[in-house]
Amino acid sequence: MSHSKTLAELSEESRIPARTIRFYIARGLLDGPVKAGRGAVYTAEHLARLEKIKDLQAEGRMLAEIAHDLNGGPSVQTAVPPSPWWQHVIQDDVIVWVRGDVSPWRMKQIRAAVDDMASRLREPESSNARRNRK
Amino acid sequence: MSTAASFAPLVAATGKAVNLSMQRLWLTGQVLPAGARLVVQHLFQSEEDKTIEVIYSFPLPRDAALRRFRITGEGFEAHSELKETEAAVKAYEEGMSRGSLSTLARQYGDGLVNLTVGNIRPKETVTVHLEVLCGVELRDDGFRFRFPFTLAPAYHSRAKTAVTAPAEGEMELPADEFGDMILPRFREDASVLHQVGFELSIVSQLGLDEIGSPSHAVRVRQDGGRSARVALADEKDVPNRDLVLDTRFKSVEPQVLAGRSKDGSGRFAAIVPSSSFGVATEAPRRVVILLDRSGSMQGEPISQARKAIEACLGVLSETDSFGLVAFDNEVLRFQPVLVSGTREFRDKAHEFLKQVDARGGTELARGFLEAVKLLEGRGGDILILTDGQVSGTGKILADARSAGVRLHCLGIGSASQDRFLALLARETGGVSRFVTPRERVDLSAVDLFASVGRPVASGLKAGASIQPEPPSFVYSGTPVILFGEAGETGESQIELSWHGGRLNLPVKSSESDIGETVWLLQGSRLITDWESRYPSSEALAPLEKRKQSRVASRLLALSQTYRLASREMSLVAVVTRPGDRPGELPETRVVPVGMAQDTVFGAYFLNQTFTGGISAMCPPAASLVTSVMAERAFAMDSFSSASTADSSASTAEPEGAPSAGLFQKLFSRPKAPGKRHQQVPRAVEVSAGKARSSQTAEDILLDLASRMDSDGGMPGKNRESRASATVIALLAFLSQGHTDTRGAFRSHVGRLVSFLKSLTSLPSHQQQIVDAVIELAYRGTAPAGEWITLAHTPGNHWYEVERSVLNA
Repeated sequence: MSHSKTLAELSEESRIPARTIRFYIARGLLDGPVKAGRGAVYTAEHLARLEKIKDLQAEGRMLAEIAHDLNGGPSVQTAVPPSPWWQHVIQDDVIVWVRGDVSPWRMKQIRAAVDDMASRLREPESSNARRNRK
Repeated sequence: MSTAASFAPLVAATGKAVNLSMQRLWLTGQVLPAGARLVVQHLFQSEEDKTIEVIYSFPLPRDAALRRFRITGEGFEAHSELKETEAAVKAYEEGMSRGSLSTLARQYGDGLVNLTVGNIRPKETVTVHLEVLCGVELRDDGFRFRFPFTLAPAYHSRAKTAVTAPAEGEMELPADEFGDMILPRFREDASVLHQVGFELSIVSQLGLDEIGSPSHAVRVRQDGGRSARVALADEKDVPNRDLVLDTRFKSVEPQVLAGRSKDGSGRFAAIVPSSSFGVATEAPRRVVILLDRSGSMQGEPISQARKAIEACLGVLSETDSFGLVAFDNEVLRFQPVLVSGTREFRDKAHEFLKQVDARGGTELARGFLEAVKLLEGRGGDILILTDGQVSGTGKILADARSAGVRLHCLGIGSASQDRFLALLARETGGVSRFVTPRERVDLSAVDLFASVGRPVASGLKAGASIQPEPPSFVYSGTPVILFGEAGETGESQIELSWHGGRLNLPVKSSESDIGETVWLLQGSRLITDWESRYPSSEALAPLEKRKQSRVASRLLALSQTYRLASREMSLVAVVTRPGDRPGELPETRVVPVGMAQDTVFGAYFLNQTFTGGISAMCPPAASLVTSVMAERAFAMDSFSSASTADSSASTAEPEGAPSAGLFQKLFSRPKAPGKRHQQVPRAVEVSAGKARSSQTAEDILLDLASRMDSDGGMPGKNRESRASATVIALLAFLSQGHTDTRGAFRSHVGRLVSFLKSLTSLPSHQQQIVDAVIELAYRGTAPAGEWITLAHTPGNHWYEVERSVLNA
């Protein structure tokens, strides 16, 4: 295995501290050494993966996100940038979706409306009917 | 099942055992008025079947430095070595590759520390006893000791956050500023995390009057009047807030703690109360109040801060000028220039404050630069009300130093940014206080504001042996601390001089080891000061380049002189044992921390599970939500406050704690709905039948303070009704212990007295009453009476005053 490296060598070549590399391995960002124990070694694939992680970080990705993507989760780098949504499960048969990145003021307004809706749907039908008559 | 496993904490939601890599953090040591010398025990107990490496992150308290650590376990004990950081990291990694138990304590920017313990064997227990030196927040009549048991997330414009599990968030700070520092995960519920506790001794030269804690239930045992033992009243607590201990002296006078250090030199720390320097001038003030309205201030802190500002403005006269700035990641100004402290502008300020709500990030530097503009380069003071939850403080400190104005800080938070705010104030010639959100933020603001803009002394000079140099200004209520060398005999004089005054203090060496402690405290203070001047770009530069840095060289020299760690020098220990397995890769574990109590999880991490179970946030495409803080994470406003779980619910209330008397009066705060609070006795309750029954005496005093007119009197229809209202207001303040020299409302009392003195040609019996009340104000007393209730009841009250005052 001519291209095998120790952790110290991998750290030096990638310019990533050894502690950080161990942390990445624990988080599932990077595979462990190809051999365990005294002769633990790392390969060019490890180095390539570290470079890839650095690139993704430079693009603004978090480690959690990178781990998610590299381990086969759906790519976040899709044609349309993702946006967060709130899922309000109001009843078993009613779900309301609200965009998560609207302004706080708008969010307050929506939240009040959703609360009101949830409260009305929880009430017995008779009280809704009474309210509608008023 | 082992005993340990049978008592392992469980995750409430799943019932699964929590595999903690650090089980216990215990604080011991000695707290002096000059600072504290602490030992923090970290117990790592592995329940794993594999070797682990554990990383624990913590913030340093104010003026703190790590001295050394001892690591113990079955059959071994080792001591740390202080090495230049690169050498320490190298030693740690070499130890790791040999399979040896290795420990590294390394400091990063913003006073953050990673304590890393590697190669803990399966089922092994290892304890790291870390010695820490730190400062305290001094007041003339006592001091506040604050120790962080958790690490709060803090705003950075380039920080990224993610929710990685229900109620668990993760944050990453930019590597170009923070290097390879690893932050913990933040758990909304701290009850399943490691235990924390403390047992401390408090020692003072002056008699100890009261010791109390607004943060924890404590047991206090006084030992002979000048020392005491303070311990957590319960068996254990959770890591979701700082430990805050308040100590009050029986008298206010200078103290000099002196003794010999290990090298035989005489060392001292002198604490000189502000009252030794004289009284504040009545010069007109030019002051800008800067209000942090970032998302993390939402709820009670912002509401209290608004009230506090109105009460502060109440003390201004027409000759004073003020400005108001609110900031998050945007800046909002009250007026484009400073305005006079007239009723008209104060009313307008009231309307302005009503629009200020908590939202957005914490762009503190932008806020104060706007405040600096308002002062137009003509000097003045800025009072900042903030939780200080901000990262990348080096740049902010540099901007503040170059701005050339005095910054005074009132910090509000359960988890400390005390170190940063103390530096911000000190480096600009101001003072700082840090309160917990469960105290009276408004009263603390009023107390701090009383001294803003009116130092009691300036141009302070001391002998050459004093390091660091004394502050340029002294403010009422805040003493000066001086560290120095007393020479070989251990006895000398401290010669202090300032514009218009001079003071000599004798130094008498004692036989105790206090000399060594004050020497180390001096070192930790100097290192903290220099750390704050270290630009991030320089701090992370390669060694060769860093050697050219003035700050790096100074820090290195200080670390070597005092044998204390800094960013240039770290602590490391490697324990070689039989059975070490070279090359074996341990599994890295990062110790999670609890979200700071009173901090809304959603203010930093977008995912939020609402009470009532009506909603949960998840993106349609993935279960992971990430965000750049500046854009989104702080946009939650008060939206998520309804879901704030009180993670301290399992902790005991401190009913059993000794009364903190005046501390509690000054720093108590009203109960917020849905929160458990410490039971603070209300000094005076307005009768239950009245609409304002929930108001405390302090609430009423704040209301009075904010209604004062710019001539110092209370408003009224005519001169006589104004005189009556002012007399009653003055008696209300006096009855609660506030005089023109003492208490949070001392400035207000002074203004009320001035107004009454300016009154002439009142009817003779009213004039007689006014004169008698002025006399009482000078004596600092009020006769028995329902002054608080009367102050809040419309109408003239000459009869009630006459009956009590003239018969007193």
